[in-house]
Amino acid sequence: MKLEPILQVRNLKKYFPVKGLFFTKGHVKAVDDISFEIRRGETFGLVGESGCGKTTTGRTILRLIEPTDGEVIFQGKNIMELKGDEMKWFRRKAQIMFQDPYSSLNPRQTVFEVIMEPVRFHGIHVDDPEEFVIKLLESVGLNEMHLYRYPHEFSGGQRQRIALARLLALRPEFIVLDEPTSALDVSVQANILNTLKDIQREFGFTYLFISHDLGVVKYMSHRMGVMYLGKLVEVGPSDEIFEKPLHPYTQLLLSAIPVPDPELAKELKAKRMKVEGEPPSPINPPSGCRFHPRCPFAKDICKKQEPPLMEAEKDHYVACWLYSKA
Amino acid sequence: MQEEYKKGILDRLADFLVIALGSFINIFKRDWKKKNKSKMEEWRLMLYALNRSPPGLIGVFLVLVFIFFGVFGPRLAPWPYNYFPFFDNGTAYLAPPGTQVYLPSHETIMSLHLGADHYGRDLLSLLLAGARTSFVISIVVIVLGVPLGILLGLIAGYYGGKTDELVMRITDMFLAFPALILAIALSAVLPNRLQAFISSHAHLQSFVLWLFGLHMREAGNLGRLLSVILAMIIVWWPAYARITRGSTLTEKENLYVEAARAIGLSSWTIMFKHILPNIIGPILVYITLDFGSVILMEAGLSFLGLGATPPIADWGRIVYDGTQFFPKAWWLIIYPGLVVMLVALGWNLLGDTLRDILDPKTRRSIEFKVKKTKKMEEKEGEENA
Amino acid sequence: MRRMPEPILEVRDLTVHFYTYAGIVKAIERVSFDVYKGETFALVGETGCGKSVTSRALTQLIESPGRIVGGKVIYHSDKGPIDLLKLREEEIREIRGKEIAYIFQDPHASLDPLYQVGYQIAEAMVVHNTVKDLKEGLQRALSILKRVLIPDPESRIKNYPHEMSGGMKQRVVIGTGLTNNPKVLIADEPTTALDVTVQAQILDLMNKLKRDYNTTLILITHNMGVVAEMADRIAVMYAGKIAEIGTAEQIFKNPLHPYTQGLLKAVPNPMKRIERLDAIPGTVPNLITPPSGCRFHPRCPFAKDICKQKVPELKEIEDGHFVACHLY
Repeated sequence: MKLEPILQVRNLKKYFPVKGLFFTKGHVKAVDDISFEIRRGETFGLVGESGCGKTTTGRTILRLIEPTDGEVIFQGKNIMELKGDEMKWFRRKAQIMFQDPYSSLNPRQTVFEVIMEPVRFHGIHVDDPEEFVIKLLESVGLNEMHLYRYPHEFSGGQRQRIALARLLALRPEFIVLDEPTSALDVSVQANILNTLKDIQREFGFTYLFISHDLGVVKYMSHRMGVMYLGKLVEVGPSDEIFEKPLHPYTQLLLSAIPVPDPELAKELKAKRMKVEGEPPSPINPPSGCRFHPRCPFAKDICKKQEPPLMEAEKDHYVACWLYSKA
Repeated sequence: MQEEYKKGILDRLADFLVIALGSFINIFKRDWKKKNKSKMEEWRLMLYALNRSPPGLIGVFLVLVFIFFGVFGPRLAPWPYNYFPFFDNGTAYLAPPGTQVYLPSHETIMSLHLGADHYGRDLLSLLLAGARTSFVISIVVIVLGVPLGILLGLIAGYYGGKTDELVMRITDMFLAFPALILAIALSAVLPNRLQAFISSHAHLQSFVLWLFGLHMREAGNLGRLLSVILAMIIVWWPAYARITRGSTLTEKENLYVEAARAIGLSSWTIMFKHILPNIIGPILVYITLDFGSVILMEAGLSFLGLGATPPIADWGRIVYDGTQFFPKAWWLIIYPGLVVMLVALGWNLLGDTLRDILDPKTRRSIEFKVKKTKKMEEKEGEENA
Repeated sequence: MRRMPEPILEVRDLTVHFYTYAGIVKAIERVSFDVYKGETFALVGETGCGKSVTSRALTQLIESPGRIVGGKVIYHSDKGPIDLLKLREEEIREIRGKEIAYIFQDPHASLDPLYQVGYQIAEAMVVHNTVKDLKEGLQRALSILKRVLIPDPESRIKNYPHEMSGGMKQRVVIGTGLTNNPKVLIADEPTTALDVTVQAQILDLMNKLKRDYNTTLILITHNMGVVAEMADRIAVMYAGKIAEIGTAEQIFKNPLHPYTQGLLKAVPNPMKRIERLDAIPGTVPNLITPPSGCRFHPRCPFAKDICKQKVPELKEIEDGHFVACHLY
């Protein structure tokens, strides 16, 4: 069953200039030519380590950062070309939830103001604003007691709920969740993740779920993409990737997760891939496959030629020469 | 929560003030109190923190006294600033503190508690009238200079890039001159034009005279007074542009700014509704400190003979005139100097304390000196036993 | 299993309060536990549960407005037992850093960006009089970098902190912490700022060093995965109190406290397919006015009347497995 895509990313690139004393010294290739699609109603997980470009991808898709090159097609429109009212339409349909619950709410606004601001801006008519906000708060697990409080009176988890209510107020269709729970404690995280799943089912949202926590991505997403140094190295159904990771980097990533089970941990530790070193700088990424200097299976071709994203199994894509038919 | 502490008179005064203010606003805005419980709680905690800072309380006291005399000083002065007893009774000339002088034309005795200047004017009256001059000048300079700086700083900081370069290079040009030198140059150049301007606008002229508590006869002196004000405005804004730009740069990194952009809000809305309210705290501290600085600089300019001319009462000018008779007439220097110092000190103490109590985070980290209630002591005794 | 374990730290009724003007924050209340020689002891809990405060209070590292209100920390040094909380500032400084060393969460903040890494390590040793001059210090710094398996240590020693990656910096920080061969190493969230692949490397390194130097490790973390991988024994903290203490085996296989049970169920295990996570309802209580009785009772699915009234004491349920809960 293949669902219709709600959002298609085509050859997206974002280079940040690195300024020297007088001239631009080079570019950080934060996102370097990636393409994928997100299907209506699904959660697409995007994982990778810090600096791999997953956050930049999320923001560029929403045009909070202008891309260097590439297209993002949302409901048939290339959002990089939208202006005026059409842009306003997109701003209403696509929303983002941030990682840090402490800086994502204006400390000077009460919960009521935080939630009503986008509603007023987009001219959405509500009969009784107070009632409207209370309903939203209840749908994310808060209540009317919280209506006129300031962000600092809330815990991290509650703030994320407020941020969530702010999104819901606009009835978007597509939401980028940028590490929404990585600043939270596990018990709170479980609550938020469950809430996200519940409202997805209720309103039919499509999520782009960005995270470095593989356990969370596994729990949340239907399909996922793995990023390494600005490149997508593997895309496919989450269960399949966790069960049978194809790309060596994905294998490394999965074997490095500490598992909350002492026996299993010992077992996995014995099998853990020994890969030394850390991701190189994205300013001068390695030639060919960017993972080749750390890859235990690297061949000659890996150093010379960049592997394209190939369909290795049905709906499961990987960018690695090991799976090349040629 | 606060019930754990014993409340002093000041804390109870704080409670009262907050509730009174809340009720007052509630008259105009329906349900304001209900909706702003949290805000009122913060106000209360701010006042509590202030109550725990003796320098802050001294600052508040000094500033309140200054404001009081700034408003009512000229009315409270026993003698008008432009009455010269010297012409009635020659002994009034530089009479030392505590002298009593008989004034035949008024058939009264004038008590010079703080002494007299070389026109025989009562120094106390001059200081009281001078409070108004300092008060008005500091307010006008701050009210006109600071918003200009804040606006430019916000624009430079938020837009960044070329806009930033342009605004900040202009700012740098102003900052490259020592402020006092620039102010001296400007107040030496400006008076004639300002005088011509103010003389041709009768309403404005009488308004300014009223503002400073001056007699019609002083109309010809206004140009010099206003030139000092204008000069100070011109040297004052660049500092604010710079501070605001810096704060804006940090503040715009916060995710709520990006959240506002994700909603689609315009740059101006984000600047004024989101960024400004969050950076105004530290700016307010600077403003408070600068009230002191403006008064000092104004006194300094007057001391150099710029700005207000006699008979207009001005603290700096009194000292300037007094130098000719020093050390014989020491009171002409000591008393006004002391007044200027206390006022500047008051604003500075207040500013420093505001810095601590305006920031919710530092406010919370101030260690609370615990005065335990009897109940708590008993409870603790039980626990230890 | 453990026959007559020899304690190196005995913590008894440790209590720390923060005097803020919003009220007295009872950050930790009567925390008691033992740490045995040579083991890895993990303090686990969520933000604000007091695990960091506890670890800092051990050597009086509490800053205003906080104050250690009561309790004892008996440290069994080579010279015999000492109550660390009774020592004067100069005396505790002798122990802190030398016999009990700390590694903090953020490696970026632990190094001064203005100086070369080698110089920083050497200078710290000169200040502590462990080496006689800077030259010897640099020699030692080099051996430290080798010890924490930094590739190409000869050139790395001349690096500035910003030229190193997060994992590399954390290696340096760990190495510096171990310079004086401390008896106890307290690691406060040592890998939280790092990526998983780097985290795995650092954890391996810490295990190796711990074996090599026979150090006792106190690990403070919120990550149950890290705990499962590293810890011999675990203390679970909730709202400033110890909820449960036991061996890793006991805590993971047979969690007794409802909070521990909830915590373990709330972690999404990447190796299992989970339809729905069991979340703990409610939020962490405010420590200015903590709930009466058992602090977990408002969120506990098994709460009884007694839980609201009486504070549960730690009870030994099986060999070495303690729990503070009225259910047992």
